[in-house]
Amino acid sequence: MPARGMRPREGHGGRAGRKGVRMTRWRMGLIGAAAALLATAAAGHAVAASPKGTLTYSWTGNVGPLDPHRYAPNQMFAQAMVYEPLVRYRDGGAIEPWLATAWTVSPDGRTYDFTLREGVTFSDGTPFDAAAVKANFDAVLADRARHDWLELVAQIRSVEALDARKLRLTLKDPYYPTLLELALIRPVRFAAPSVLTPDGVTKPVGTGPWMLTGTKKGEYDVFTRNPSYWGPKPAYERIVVKVIPDPTARAVAFETGEIDLIYGGTGQISADSFTRFKARGTGQTAVSAPLATRTMAINSGRAPTNDLAVRKAINHAVDKDAIVAKLLYGLEPKADTLFAANFPYSDLGLTPYAYDPARAARLLDEAGWILPPGGKLRVRDGQPLRVELCFIGNDARERTLAEAIQANLKAVGFDAQLVGEEENAIEARQKDGRFGLIFGDTWGAPYDPHSFVGSMRVPTHADYQAQRGLPMKTEIDATISAVLVTTDETTRRALYRDILTTLHEQAVYLPLSHLTAMAVSRGVEGVGFGASAYEIPFGAMRPAP
Amino acid sequence: MLRFIAGRLLTLPPLLLAVSAGVFLLLRLGRGDPALDYLRLSNIPPTDAAIAEAQRLLGLDRPLAEQYLSWLWQALHLDFGLSYVTRQPVLDDLLHYLPATLQLGAAALAVTLAVSLPLGVWAARHRDRMPDHLVRALAFVGVSIPNFWLGFLLVLLFAVTLNWLPPLGRGGWSHMVMPVAAVSLMSLCINARLLRASMLETAGQRHVLYARLRGLPERRVVHGHILRNALLPIVTATGMHIGELLGGTLVIENIFGWPGVGRYAVSAIHNRDYPVLQCFTLLMTVIFVLCNLAVDVLYAWLDPRIRLAREAAR
Repeated sequence: MPARGMRPREGHGGRAGRKGVRMTRWRMGLIGAAAALLATAAAGHAVAASPKGTLTYSWTGNVGPLDPHRYAPNQMFAQAMVYEPLVRYRDGGAIEPWLATAWTVSPDGRTYDFTLREGVTFSDGTPFDAAAVKANFDAVLADRARHDWLELVAQIRSVEALDARKLRLTLKDPYYPTLLELALIRPVRFAAPSVLTPDGVTKPVGTGPWMLTGTKKGEYDVFTRNPSYWGPKPAYERIVVKVIPDPTARAVAFETGEIDLIYGGTGQISADSFTRFKARGTGQTAVSAPLATRTMAINSGRAPTNDLAVRKAINHAVDKDAIVAKLLYGLEPKADTLFAANFPYSDLGLTPYAYDPARAARLLDEAGWILPPGGKLRVRDGQPLRVELCFIGNDARERTLAEAIQANLKAVGFDAQLVGEEENAIEARQKDGRFGLIFGDTWGAPYDPHSFVGSMRVPTHADYQAQRGLPMKTEIDATISAVLVTTDETTRRALYRDILTTLHEQAVYLPLSHLTAMAVSRGVEGVGFGASAYEIPFGAMRPAP
Repeated sequence: MLRFIAGRLLTLPPLLLAVSAGVFLLLRLGRGDPALDYLRLSNIPPTDAAIAEAQRLLGLDRPLAEQYLSWLWQALHLDFGLSYVTRQPVLDDLLHYLPATLQLGAAALAVTLAVSLPLGVWAARHRDRMPDHLVRALAFVGVSIPNFWLGFLLVLLFAVTLNWLPPLGRGGWSHMVMPVAAVSLMSLCINARLLRASMLETAGQRHVLYARLRGLPERRVVHGHILRNALLPIVTATGMHIGELLGGTLVIENIFGWPGVGRYAVSAIHNRDYPVLQCFTLLMTVIFVLCNLAVDVLYAWLDPRIRLAREAAR
C-alpha cells in the first residue's frame, strides 16, 4: 500500500497501521471536544420566562438619563413612564385631567388657570405643588431655543404660582392647541425641584407610576413600580427593558422567551415577523388604530399635475386595496383622506376617490389627454402625459410602493418616471418643489392635524410646494392661520372642515395607508394601545394567570 | 528589534492623521444630514427652525475646515466629542463596549487556531483520502457561507428549534458559542487549507527527507521539522484574520445582541453619528496596526532567517 498523506509520494511505506491508530485518536479527540463544548453550553442555558411580577420588554438602545425637558437620547416611552403631564391626550383628541384636576380659560384665550391634584408626591417624597410646576416651566423657558419647534413654548408669557394648588399660565396670543401641547411627553412634564439644575436633572425623579432603578449600558434598564404613586398601581412590579437594536434579533428574542412583549412600529418588528407570529400563534398579536398617514403629495405647481383632472385621475387610478394587501401585509389600513377619521376635526365624511381606472381614463380624455390609436401613452398638444415620481432610492418600502403606483398609472396611459435618489436629494426636492409625486408621512398624534396643517404655510415644506399651484392657496393659508388662534370651538370646526375639504377636493394628496403600531405578547393580558405611538400603556398590562 | 518596533510605531501618528481626515471627509460627502436623524430620534417635527437649532447643537453649522480642526485639536487631548445619539463622551462609550468585542474576537481567534491547526495537520497527513476530502468540503462550505447567514442558521437551529443556547446577549459561556462559531468559521477554514498546503510543501523539502534518513520518529519529523516550518504562513494569515474577525464581529454583534463596539458602530452608521464613527475608525486603525506589528515580531521570533537578516542589515 503506497504511503500518502504528508510523505512525499516516492517516500517510504510501511507505517500505515500506526497512522491509522493515530488518525482514530485524532478524530475521537475532535469529536469529543466538540461534544463537550456543546454539552456544557447547553447545560448552562435554561429557557427562562421572566420571573413573576416582571415584564421584559426591549428597545433599540438604553432609555437615556431621563430628563423630562430634553430630547434624544432620552426615550419618550420611558420619559412617559416616569413623568406625568398636567392633562392627558385621549383618543380622538379629547383632553382629560391628570396632574391638573380642573382648569379655566379666560374669554380672550390668553390666561389658563389650573387646579393641581391633591396628594401627589414625587417618588423621593417631596410634594408636587404649584412651586414645583413653576420650577419645571422655568427650566423649559430657560432653554427656549431647544424647544423652538413647539409653538406653545414660544407663546408662554409667564407662569405664576397663585397658591400651593393654583397655577396661572399667561400666553402672548390666544393659542388653541395649548392643552394638546401640554399633554405631550416632552418638554412640559415635571421632575422634583430638588433634582433640577441648569444643566438638566441630576437623577430621574418624577410623579409617575414607575421609577428607573437600574441601568447597564448597552444591555438593559430596569423600572420598578413607584410605591407612593397617587393613581392606580400597575400590576407588574418591575419592567426590564433589554437593549436589542436589530428587529430580527428582537423577533428571535421573543420567539425564544427572552422577552415578553414587542410593541411599536416597523422599527420594532418587521411586518414579515409580525405576520409569521400571527399565523403560527407564537404570541398574542394586535394592531393599533391609525396613528399617522402614509401619503404622496401631488404637485399642483407643475405640468401636467397642475390640472385638477389629472390629479383626480391619479387618485382614481391607484389600487390601494391591492397595495395594502400585497405590499403592506394588510397591517396598515387603506387611507382615503389625509388624516384618519379618528383624528380631531377630521371625521368629515369626505367622499373617497374610489379605485376606478375607467373613470380615471374618462377624466383624462375629458381633459384632452388622448390615447393615440395603437399607442400606450396619452398625449395632449404633442406633449406626453408624464410625471416624476420621487422616492428615496435605498428605501425598499418606498421603492416597491412607487413601482406599484407606476404600474397602476401605466394602465391608464400615464407614464410615471421613477426618480430614486439619495435621501438629501429627495429632501431638497421637497423643499423646492422639483417633483410630480413625492412620499411623505403625516406627523401623527398629537401633532395631527394642527401642527401638520400649520407647516403647510411654510414654503420649504413639500405640502406648501404641492399646494402652491392651487388658485385658492392664499385663502388656505389664511384659514390655517385663523384656525390656530380661534378660541371658538364651532368656528374652529368649520375652519378645519373648510381646509381639509378643499385639500381633498383639489386632490393634492394621494393618501395610501394609515401607519399603525403592532404588539406581540406572551403571558401578558391587557395589551392595548395609547392615543399616541410614543406612550406604552404598561399600567394596564398584567401577567396572565 | 526594539528599533524595528519603535520605527513601526512612529508611522502610526501620520497614518492616524490621514485616516481621520479621510473619514471626516467621506462621512460628510455621504448622504443625509445628522441633524435630521437627531430630530427623528427626538421625535421633533423637522421644521426649518428645528433643523437649524439641531445643527447648532451638534456643531454642524460651522465651516467644514473649522469643524475638522476643532475636532482634531480636541482629539489630540483624547476628547473625541459627544455622540450625537447618546450625548455621552464618545471615547467613554467605545471603551465601555470594547472589552466585549475583544472577548469575542479573542475567543474566535483561539477557536480558529485550536480547530484549524489540527484540521490542517489531519488533512495533510491523509492527503487525497477521506479526512482530506472532508476538510476540503468543510472549507468550501465555510468560505462560501457569509457569517451573518450562518449566524441566523445557528440561531434557528440551536436557539429557536432546539432551545439549547441563548439567542442573544452576553453572559456565560453558552452565550459565546454561536457568535464565536459564526465569526470564526471562515478564518478557520482558510487556515486549515493553508496549513495543509504549507505542510505538504514543507514535507517535500530536503531537511525532512534528511530527518527521515536519520531515522527520527515520525512524530518528531512531523512536529519538529514539518509543522514548525509550515506554521510561518499561518502566522501571516492569522494577522489578516484578526482584521477579518474584528470586521466579522461588526455584523455578528448585531445578530446576537452582543454589547460590543461593533453593534455600537452599526447603530452609529444608521444614525449618522459622526463623532462615534470617527473615533471608532481611529480605534480600529490602532488595533489593526498593533496586531500586524505583533505578527511581524512573532514572525521574526519564529524564523531565525528573518531575525538574522534584519540584524545583519543593521
